Amino acid sequence: MPAPAATYERIVYKNPSEHHYMKVCLEFQEHGVGLTAAQFKQLLISALKDLFGEVDAALPLDILTYEEKTLSAILRICSSGLVRLWSSLTLLGSYKGKKCAFRVIQVSPFLLALSGNSRELVLD
Amino acid sequence: MVRFKHRYLLCEVVSDDPRCRLSLDDRVLGGLVRDTVARLHGTFGGAACSIGFAVRYLNAYTGIVLLRCRKEFYQLVWSALPFITHLENKGHRYPCFLNTLHVGGTIRTCQKFLIQYNRRQLLILLQNCTDEGEREAIQKSVTRSCLLEEEPGEEELSDGGEAAAAAME
Repeated sequence: MPAPAATYERIVYKNPSEHHYMKVCLEFQEHGVGLTAAQFKQLLISALKDLFGEVDAALPLDILTYEEKTLSAILRICSSGLVRLWSSLTLLGSYKGKKCAFRVIQVSPFLLALSGNSRELVLD
Repeated sequence: MVRFKHRYLLCEVVSDDPRCRLSLDDRVLGGLVRDTVARLHGTFGGAACSIGFAVRYLNAYTGIVLLRCRKEFYQLVWSALPFITHLENKGHRYPCFLNTLHVGGTIRTCQKFLIQYNRRQLLILLQNCTDEGEREAIQKSVTRSCLLEEEPGEEELSDGGEAAAAAME
């Protein structure tokens, strides 16, 4: 007697998260440049506005945490705007005449994933 | 098949000032649309729309403009049209806005739409006009346009133009 046909069930999870979270760090060529959180956000919005115009400068972008000493932040952006934000961060060259660059450390649709980074893990 | 596909946006320049339409210039209008797209969609949008962009047809009497852009980026241009508020020419600023009538894939479909639209506009003008002389002129245009149904041509566009220009003044 032939074996009964196997039944398959396919479950597809489309990404349910509406937001993407990015951990970024701003590096300047020279040392000693400080930015407040407001100036940091202004820099991000002007980068978006430069490349993608007024429409994308109005994307709902949030800075969740910001450290002034290391100039690193965790950003939240809606998923449809992730590619545009990332490309405008890549193409940002200077702030007030001083050369700088954004380093993107981690990107994830879940905030919990940004809490631990195996590269910075210190083993005792 | 390999070819570049375009979208043709048929727009009407609407303004309170009658001098605004007469001062329409295709280069000025093209520059204005490009600047608005660059302002709204940034360097990326401005560059993407400028590749296949052209002002194909411009009628100063009726204020009809036909813009061409690439099919992939026509929505960027279309979304920038409501943000055009002024027309600047020789130092004069005229407040105006662009009303999009039709989006077509070819010039021929836009022309067919424009002929039907002008016929309807003539009938509306006929209802609204007050002067007897104007009324006769419009009635003549309407009968001529009905007889010439077999031959869609430039005549239709100029008929509607002249009658509209006469009615506006």
